[in-house]
Amino acid sequence: MHNNWMRRQRMLGYIFVGPNMLGVLLFFLIPAVYSFGLMFTDYKFMNPDMTFIGLDNIKRLMKDPLFFLSLRNTLIFLLAVPVSIVLGFIVAVILNQKIYLKKLLRGLYFMPYITSGVAVAFVWMLLFQPNQGPINGLLRSIGVDNPPGWLSTTTSSMYAIDIIWIWFMLGYNMIIYLAALQEVSSELLEAAKIDGARPLQILRRIIWPLVSPTTFLLLITGLIMAIKTFGIIQATTQGGPGNSTTILSLYVYQNAFRYYDMGYAATVSWALFAIILLITVLQWVGQKRWVHY
Amino acid sequence: MEVKKRLSILQPGSLLITIIMLALAVVMIIPFLWMISTSLKTPAEVFKYPIEWIPSNLTWEHHQKVWSGAKSFGTYYLNSLKISIIGMVGATFLSAFAAYGFARIEFKGRNTLFLLYLSMMMIPPQVLFVPKFIMFEWAGIYNTHLALILPGLFTIFGVFMLRQFFLSIPNEISESAFIDGAGHFRIFFRLILPLAKPALATLAIIDFSWQWNDYENALVFLIDENLYTVPLGLQNFILENTVDYNGMMAAASAGIIPMIVVFAIGQRYIIQGLTNSAVKG
Repeated sequence: MHNNWMRRQRMLGYIFVGPNMLGVLLFFLIPAVYSFGLMFTDYKFMNPDMTFIGLDNIKRLMKDPLFFLSLRNTLIFLLAVPVSIVLGFIVAVILNQKIYLKKLLRGLYFMPYITSGVAVAFVWMLLFQPNQGPINGLLRSIGVDNPPGWLSTTTSSMYAIDIIWIWFMLGYNMIIYLAALQEVSSELLEAAKIDGARPLQILRRIIWPLVSPTTFLLLITGLIMAIKTFGIIQATTQGGPGNSTTILSLYVYQNAFRYYDMGYAATVSWALFAIILLITVLQWVGQKRWVHY
Repeated sequence: MEVKKRLSILQPGSLLITIIMLALAVVMIIPFLWMISTSLKTPAEVFKYPIEWIPSNLTWEHHQKVWSGAKSFGTYYLNSLKISIIGMVGATFLSAFAAYGFARIEFKGRNTLFLLYLSMMMIPPQVLFVPKFIMFEWAGIYNTHLALILPGLFTIFGVFMLRQFFLSIPNEISESAFIDGAGHFRIFFRLILPLAKPALATLAIIDFSWQWNDYENALVFLIDENLYTVPLGLQNFILENTVDYNGMMAAASAGIIPMIVVFAIGQRYIIQGLTNSAVKG
């Protein structure tokens, strides 16, 4: 009798997990499998007859200059991740000192992260305005005769997006580092100081290695998060000028909902997945090798 | 000299550092200040340099334009509120329910299922856009709010985060209730949920901000303007008023200010939740 009850209680596990599982099945698993299948078809929205075309989409991908351009743009975009991590670390170390208004400062640095990327992107669009915008106004007033065109020229546009992303992510990285710094033992730092270590030495030789697990985590999650985004780019440049800000995630969106070339869009999206998979595998391998505990 | 209780690496005056950091923080929020200031200016003053932070001809006309007329932000707000609130409540509850199952009931296949969950986190939303579009079209919910609400009810991150929290609640608490004859349902509703209030609040706030800020799904699944959420409405406004910079900034303020308010109220929970899931997860 009692055993029976225990067993029934254990069966309740499925009831607890079930509803959520159903959603994951419907909105994640089935679409993922479906998408994988689409990769081998020529499905287009306008022409609903689906034909199996084998590996043609993948062959097309390998010869698609726009795919490689968007891959390159994605890599430039990802440069923003380590930069925002280092800056977040520096701000966190300073905010961890004896200073006033700590909470207010923390809130101010964090603020960009909680606001909608799209709304903020529109503000940056005007700030970056090449002819009259306030950023170039400032640059001209301090004697820069030819300030960059920011979002409006093909050579600078991706870096302008990087600046927005660094600004957006800095506060998040800072918050996570602040939590990690609480775990750094103050006795250790005290001992180092007594031994005559200079502040920058302590920072580089003790604190930075001690928070390396956090750095690693931020790097991996930051890269994955950046790879999945296209909102701020779609809102500001729509991938332009001249595809110079078309990153992979945006290229998927364009193929699917601008050209309605859905089979090919699915193929590009799995290339995106392959990169995420690669980063995740690096995480497994790297965690053991590069992180100092 | 007094013995220092807290260690500081940079010795000279905390006040000086505070001032420097405050100045840098102001640089960080300059985009917001500029946005608000511009939304209250006249068109001629937008790009005047040096910047007039407090406009001499202060006007509310641009904010009025955003909030009135056929394409009022009022509609977008109601749509966004509806989607975000239903999503937030549903996702928080469903996550808690599943997280309890994963954390505190030992059933067959649990670990395999959880691994499957985690692997789903790796799949970028772009992979799912096309099949979801086809499925929603087929089910007749494409271009309706259901296309955002239904998937919004399920968050893998939420299950993961609450599972971590439930695991940290000592087992003895539910064991003694178990001996008293309470089943899992009673333990979940009467014991665990009340204990998990801070974690639930954290998830609710984070989830709300995600749903409120979600632009990409709305872009893919909504067409009719009267269904638009705030980010889409904002984009629409900007596409239709490309030279009205004051109006654009008034619209951007409408999109941003609610999140700043939510953040000001829930800062503690948001920060706690993000750090817990990152550092201890």
